[in-house]
Amino acid sequence: MIEAQVSVLDQVDGSAQVTCGTTSVICSVTGPIEPKARQELPSQLALEVVVRPSKGVPNTREKLMEDQIRGVLTPVLVRYLYPRQLCQVCFQILESGEPEQEHSVKELNCCINAAYLALIDAGIALKSSFSSVCMAVLPQSSEIVVNPVTQQLQQSNSTHLVAIQVGQGGQKAESVLLAESNGSFDQQLFLDVLSTGEKECIKVALELRKIVENKIQKDFVWRG
Amino acid sequence: MAKDIEISTSEAKFLVEALKQNQRLDGRGFDELRDVKIELGRDYGDVTVSMGKTRVHCRISCEITQPYEDRPFEGLFFISTEISPMAGPQFENGNNTGEDEIMCARIIEKAVRRSGALDVEGLCIVAGSKCWAVRADVHFLNCDGGFIDASCIAVMTGLLHFKKPDISVSGEQITVHSIEEREPVPLGVLHIPICVSFSFFNPEDTEENIKGDSNNEIAIIDATLKEELLRDGTLTVTLNKNREVVQVSKAGGLPMDALMLMDCCHKAYKITETLTEQILSKLKEDSEGRNKYAAMLSSENNRQM
Amino acid sequence: MASSIEIHPITFPPEVLARIAPDLSIQRHLSLGVRPCLRQFEEFRNIEISDGGLSRSTDLFHNSEENNILGSNVLRSGKTIVITSITGGFVEELLPVHGIDEGEEELRNMTMQHDRISQFGAVYPVVEVERGRMGAPTDEEMNLSQKIYNCILGSGVIPKSSLNVSVGRRTTNPDKSVSITYPDEEGPELDQQFLPKRKWSYVLYAKIQVFSRDGPLFELCWNSLIYALKNTKLPRAFVDEKTTDLKIPVRVRGRSAAIRETYDIICDSHKSIPLVLNSKNVGFASNFGVIDLDPEARLPEKEDEMQVDQEDSILLADLQGEAEESSVLSTLSIISDEKGNLKHLGIIGGGSKVTTETIRRSILLSSKRSEDLSTKN
Repeated sequence: MIEAQVSVLDQVDGSAQVTCGTTSVICSVTGPIEPKARQELPSQLALEVVVRPSKGVPNTREKLMEDQIRGVLTPVLVRYLYPRQLCQVCFQILESGEPEQEHSVKELNCCINAAYLALIDAGIALKSSFSSVCMAVLPQSSEIVVNPVTQQLQQSNSTHLVAIQVGQGGQKAESVLLAESNGSFDQQLFLDVLSTGEKECIKVALELRKIVENKIQKDFVWRG
Repeated sequence: MAKDIEISTSEAKFLVEALKQNQRLDGRGFDELRDVKIELGRDYGDVTVSMGKTRVHCRISCEITQPYEDRPFEGLFFISTEISPMAGPQFENGNNTGEDEIMCARIIEKAVRRSGALDVEGLCIVAGSKCWAVRADVHFLNCDGGFIDASCIAVMTGLLHFKKPDISVSGEQITVHSIEEREPVPLGVLHIPICVSFSFFNPEDTEENIKGDSNNEIAIIDATLKEELLRDGTLTVTLNKNREVVQVSKAGGLPMDALMLMDCCHKAYKITETLTEQILSKLKEDSEGRNKYAAMLSSENNRQM
Repeated sequence: MASSIEIHPITFPPEVLARIAPDLSIQRHLSLGVRPCLRQFEEFRNIEISDGGLSRSTDLFHNSEENNILGSNVLRSGKTIVITSITGGFVEELLPVHGIDEGEEELRNMTMQHDRISQFGAVYPVVEVERGRMGAPTDEEMNLSQKIYNCILGSGVIPKSSLNVSVGRRTTNPDKSVSITYPDEEGPELDQQFLPKRKWSYVLYAKIQVFSRDGPLFELCWNSLIYALKNTKLPRAFVDEKTTDLKIPVRVRGRSAAIRETYDIICDSHKSIPLVLNSKNVGFASNFGVIDLDPEARLPEKEDEMQVDQEDSILLADLQGEAEESSVLSTLSIISDEKGNLKHLGIIGGGSKVTTETIRRSILLSSKRSEDLSTKN
């Protein structure tokens, strides 16, 4: 479901390229570094999130994605460890995989998962693991499709993104970090989506964990 | 650049001393280009170019807009080269006003857009009211020198690879056919300009920088980031395989021997030839991969005589 | 002789404490069962709305040419005032060619039908939070604008069909009098030949100005926009008979072509039609916050008074004020109608855990709130 490569760039502290279906994102993390005066927080790590689209110049759409990603990352970073420092998280969308004018869930989903790997690669302290998944609900059957393709996304009655904080070695869904639902749906459907999302997020978290394991094995090859 | 990379004096001296003894840090010869790797994506016009550690992604896209009033028969073509902190922390987001960044953007613009590499008249749909606007977005992923050379290859490969959706026109009415519906059409690329950058080092004392009497500067092709930061002067030559010089750009720095320019052009031409060949063979390989079944589905019958 | 130092506990008046330690201040308030704004936990602020008399269709303006506001709303909630004004323009649509390949056309129509979002129109909002100085839009303003745009499009409040312009024609009669005829008024007699062969649609822009920001703004802006859309009237538009098929030859560097004149589409200053909304997709927004009670922040209790155990985390409706905004890190934002049909639900779980129970409760409160808001007009 997820293909990922870690440490793909070498001018930054951590990076990851994540491909999920037809969506592909590359994420870089630089930090902790010296912030600009206006970014500096006296007791905590400041976070700068930059999202760049694959086509055209960054727009308000990317600004909103930055804000949503910041909402996910802020609570999981151990921010008091790095007072008066800055962490720069950059995303470059390589392949959008969805109609950009109307949707952003697939890109957002890829970005969040890429951020997790890149933050680990950069060695920034995290309170816990996290992962995300995007879903679409088809009309008529009300079937919940995980990682929908473009056509399903366009036909869907509602689109959902769920990002979960995962604990106990990627076994347990602890709390919702972000849920974004748009379209037409009701309470029951939303709760169903949320529980499906939690299950899928754990699956994703386990996959990400494997990627991290491989990375660590490679990094510590000198230990024999 | 927000936070400049600093290179220690000993490291700088080492690099120049090595150059004096005909050695480069990565073991390349002075006229040797790093290996260029071109990858094409799933979509048309999605290209990643790697030169050593330098990595550039280019994405071509198009949409229908209105042409400029004074050019009713021409479509629009933009190249955007914004550098994000992803390429290195020395770049600031949304602030591409550094000298190097502007130089880079200008040279690519001149090499590709102003040289007429793309046939903009072919982008016209209805004169004066509708045309295609093609844009090339260059994303710098990893910075290890040679941004200009790599992005020029990426943009040109992208333009050659890209296909715009087919359209039907009847008077003022236009139908855009999706890729599933009709085979998309390629852009009209008139020639393939290739940029080759030379970096000059002064092997003597600083006085030479001003006087330039001895004319024995060291010229190397395709500098890495470290070499770029320490060089005393630079020259970018843009050529195509028809042996035409598209652009020569030398903005200040170490004065160079006039005869060396010819020499550089000769060297650059060889590189241009091999790179053009590489781009075309890569594109051919890709189109064969996409049309695996074309021969089978072809309506031409195998006539038996 | 060592002098002894006495340590006095420092006390602050509530408003000072709220500034220097918003965390502590809010915890103290909540442990007393009341919020810093003195509302109950699940109590919303009342809102007052009016159309503000800004739009061109109000009596004051009589559809005058100078006023280009098509719909408006002034919403006041607490000390925050939100002013929404809707303006518009025309945009020419790309018309597909008919009769080239019927199979293709059919295929295209079929895919269009299944594409949900392509059936809806949008409003392009610009949110301005007034802060006493000019400058580039802040991140908050950009996020609000984009979020409102996404929700308008995703919820399907405006069907695309209601943005189609049915273009009228102005004719000069033999007696020099001028009359404007619209296709839906005159029926079949109107000569189809002279109607322009192009199609236009309205584009709507919303300028949302916020004064005295005091807490999260998305919900206030959204509600104000919905009220404004409800009273939006689109002016009718026509083209002049003479310009229906005009061509201008152009010649550039030896090439020539005939460029069709861009039609001068003119707004009718007398007639307008109300904007038709998809009433079943209209929802109102409300926000909630979840905060954990910190047992240490409670006021010291008297020994003999056994306090009833309070819940660990509590749900706050309609967040207000600096203290609540900065210390309530888990928030829910819901757009729903009175029947509980949801159009948008956003959870940011930065602080305390958002449980299923909390979600159910907020959806219930939000649909009640929506019922209340939909009766206002």
